[in-house]
Amino acid sequence: MKLTLDLDLKKCTSCGACAIACMDQNDIDVERGIRPFRTVFDWENKTGGTGRKFIHISIACMHCTDAPCVLACPSACISKDKETNLTVFDNTNCIGCHSCAMACPFGIPSFGEEGKMQKCDGCAVRVKNGMEPACVRACPVQALKLVDIDAENSQTEGASLQKLGKEILEFQT
Amino acid sequence: MERIDQLLKAKIPCEETGITIKHTICDICSPSFHCGVDAYVKDGTVIKIEGTKGHPMNDGLLCTKGLSNRQYIYRKDRIRTPLKRIGKRGEGNFEPITWDEAYKICAERLLGWKEKEGADRVLFFGGYTKWFRPWLHRFAFSFGTENYATESSTCYTSGLMAWEIATGKPAKGDMAHCGVFLGWAFNPYHSRYLGGKKADEAKKRGVKFIIVDPRVTPAVEKLADIHLRPRGGTDGALALGMANILIQNGWIDKEYIDRYVHGFDAFARYAAGFHEGNLEALTGVPYEQAVEACRMIHECGPMAINESSAPLAHHRNGMQNYRAIMALSAITGNYDRVGGQQPADHTYIHQCSGFLTREKEFLEAVRPAGAKKPVGAERFPLWYALEGEAQATDMARQILEEKPYPIRALFALGLNLRMLPDTEQVVKALEKLDFFVDTDLFLTDAAKYADIVLPACSSFERGEFKTYPGGYAVYTNPVIEPLGEAKSDAQILCELAGVMGLEDDLLKSGYEDSIRYMIQDLSVTVEELKANPLPTLVPERTPYKAGGYVRQGLCTKSGKFELDSCLIKEHPEWGLDSLPTYREPLSQAGEALYPFTLCAGARIPNAIHSRLHEVPWVRSLRPYPTADIAEEDAAKLGICDGDPIEIFTDRGSIHVKAHPTARVLPGMVHMYHGYREANVNGLLNGDHLDPYSGFPAYRSSRCGIRKEGSTDEADS
Repeated sequence: MKLTLDLDLKKCTSCGACAIACMDQNDIDVERGIRPFRTVFDWENKTGGTGRKFIHISIACMHCTDAPCVLACPSACISKDKETNLTVFDNTNCIGCHSCAMACPFGIPSFGEEGKMQKCDGCAVRVKNGMEPACVRACPVQALKLVDIDAENSQTEGASLQKLGKEILEFQT
Repeated sequence: MERIDQLLKAKIPCEETGITIKHTICDICSPSFHCGVDAYVKDGTVIKIEGTKGHPMNDGLLCTKGLSNRQYIYRKDRIRTPLKRIGKRGEGNFEPITWDEAYKICAERLLGWKEKEGADRVLFFGGYTKWFRPWLHRFAFSFGTENYATESSTCYTSGLMAWEIATGKPAKGDMAHCGVFLGWAFNPYHSRYLGGKKADEAKKRGVKFIIVDPRVTPAVEKLADIHLRPRGGTDGALALGMANILIQNGWIDKEYIDRYVHGFDAFARYAAGFHEGNLEALTGVPYEQAVEACRMIHECGPMAINESSAPLAHHRNGMQNYRAIMALSAITGNYDRVGGQQPADHTYIHQCSGFLTREKEFLEAVRPAGAKKPVGAERFPLWYALEGEAQATDMARQILEEKPYPIRALFALGLNLRMLPDTEQVVKALEKLDFFVDTDLFLTDAAKYADIVLPACSSFERGEFKTYPGGYAVYTNPVIEPLGEAKSDAQILCELAGVMGLEDDLLKSGYEDSIRYMIQDLSVTVEELKANPLPTLVPERTPYKAGGYVRQGLCTKSGKFELDSCLIKEHPEWGLDSLPTYREPLSQAGEALYPFTLCAGARIPNAIHSRLHEVPWVRSLRPYPTADIAEEDAAKLGICDGDPIEIFTDRGSIHVKAHPTARVLPGMVHMYHGYREANVNGLLNGDHLDPYSGFPAYRSSRCGIRKEGSTDEADS
């Protein structure tokens, strides 16, 4: 089982429900400037040309199969969970070097008040206990999904953020 | 990390963690939702929430707002004890007192005015969260007055009245079976999320969507086959133009009209005034687009229409516009049919659940004889004729002018002073009162003007009866103890009735007994409902019977769907039109100084009125009061994204950030309401009201905007 989180860009409306669910699950203290592990964008593409588009994105850790952050961390804080393949972490030994953030093509890792890395772990413990990640459970338009990339028909119908992410990476390299 | 620590951190409900899931409901927004909530509780504290799977309302889902329940119920400004004001009104200086003291003071002051000048000198007001309404209303009646007003003076009722005028009862669009959905002011994704789910399902089935909205919303992006963009408040002209197109092309149901519709000829003659020659000038919608929409209505029926509680009603022509839109349902034979507009009866607190309770009898049994007409009845006679209660938009005026009679005391639950236009006037009125009690979860700015503030509890801290569409009823159990000494609003009213010695044994016997009275005709009992953690199907539910209501004869004077209202025609002294006539939303005066149309309150996903502005999680999604303006206007005024701007009217100005966007029409300014530091409703004229409903024109008033620091010709 190789799980990851995917978003159907066509279903998302930038309502922010996933971000609030993330805050509730992870006790995010926004008053102290801490951000949730999921960020929601409501973008307008103003480049013109083919006309204007409104773009809705909710993004968190993409739980890459060959996650560059895992290799980048000198303290071995980040790993792929054997059972779920989600990218999990234990920041006890984090030295706050930001190597993971530099390695992440999506700029996901963030750093708390103590300078230690934190990010979305796909709610791995919930998943292992038969529950959905908090954001997936909350998404009122079912745009967010926990998908098994090994399973047949795992592709999100419509516009997959995972697919778009891969395309961006291929374009960059 | 140890296994137990992992489980605790992930908040896994199990024996090891001691976390249990308890069921309650969300009452942050309107009782037409109140979605089921799973509260994760540990040691008597809510540590996380989710939507309840299998709940007939939301089946596991919650919206952005509902998901913030934990921070909402534990907001820092929750009131923990009854409070007595020791400082000046509005300062916020209070001392804690006991419930006994608080009740004693309330009883003495309220009964004092009743004895001295009569019960009508006291006004009762109910704001959010509305669940307590039957008890507050009954309390006012048993006290001896019809002076009962609610926040529905500015929400929902205008549309309800339009339906009552036309058909005698409320109606809902049957999206589940329609062929075309006329989504007039329809953007459920950011305001009524469960409607979004239904719309997605309908879209998948192949339902055609006509979205009518000045904005490009997610509903337009996801659903619209046709998007009509009328300027704010010109909806009536567009609807009349569409009616004319349907009539001219013979895309109407003549047989249905002959049998079930009253006033068609007069309506058709009036609608003929909205045509190819003037429709675009009046509304901004190209005539061809309106024709295309009408063709779709004709070819893809049956047609269901979105009902609108606020956006269509919040214009000085709001009710007439809405009547014109609903007329489209009548002339095409789409009223009272599968896939069309379906009549329904309110079961309980405005929820249509397919069975009846004795909610109405609970009130009418104690309606006081010989009470004075309530606040607003003279100024808004149609409102009073249909609703029989006070219209709160006339409250501040009557308190200040003392006409037709003075109001000395106000007993309020959840009063939000920024709910009404012209906040300054509302504050003056509150300052003038001899006695003011407010009950709330939070020490709001309105509560700061009160003499006595009573602490209410949230839905998580009380047990309550509630009904849902599809024939369901529930009686929740509290999931946590009340915070501090907070009590449920209904309990407060029942206890105060006892202290005051009101002659009302049922009210004094408490909330639960009142529910027993209201559900006595049902075969489910309070005990059975309480024992079921999820809503119970009520055996007395009756399914919708297509065409049953029109065939039996409507509860209107003509017995038909009234395009031309007999009720209004009988009262020429009201000065109202019996046909759904159209007039411009804006007054001509001030056009040069205030060239923009201000739309206050177009919904954003992370707020509902002012209730969530102080909840850090949801506020963090859009931290600054921000106005959406058109890119063209921004370019002309040299305004960039995030620039500080000033929105001004003859009442004053507010300072907000600008968000230039292609989502809004040039000439319009969309600003969300309820912000303490940028109170847009304070900019509105308290007399810019709909004479039919008394509703404020929140969504169309004149304003100007300028970049902070810039000088404007209007200033010199």
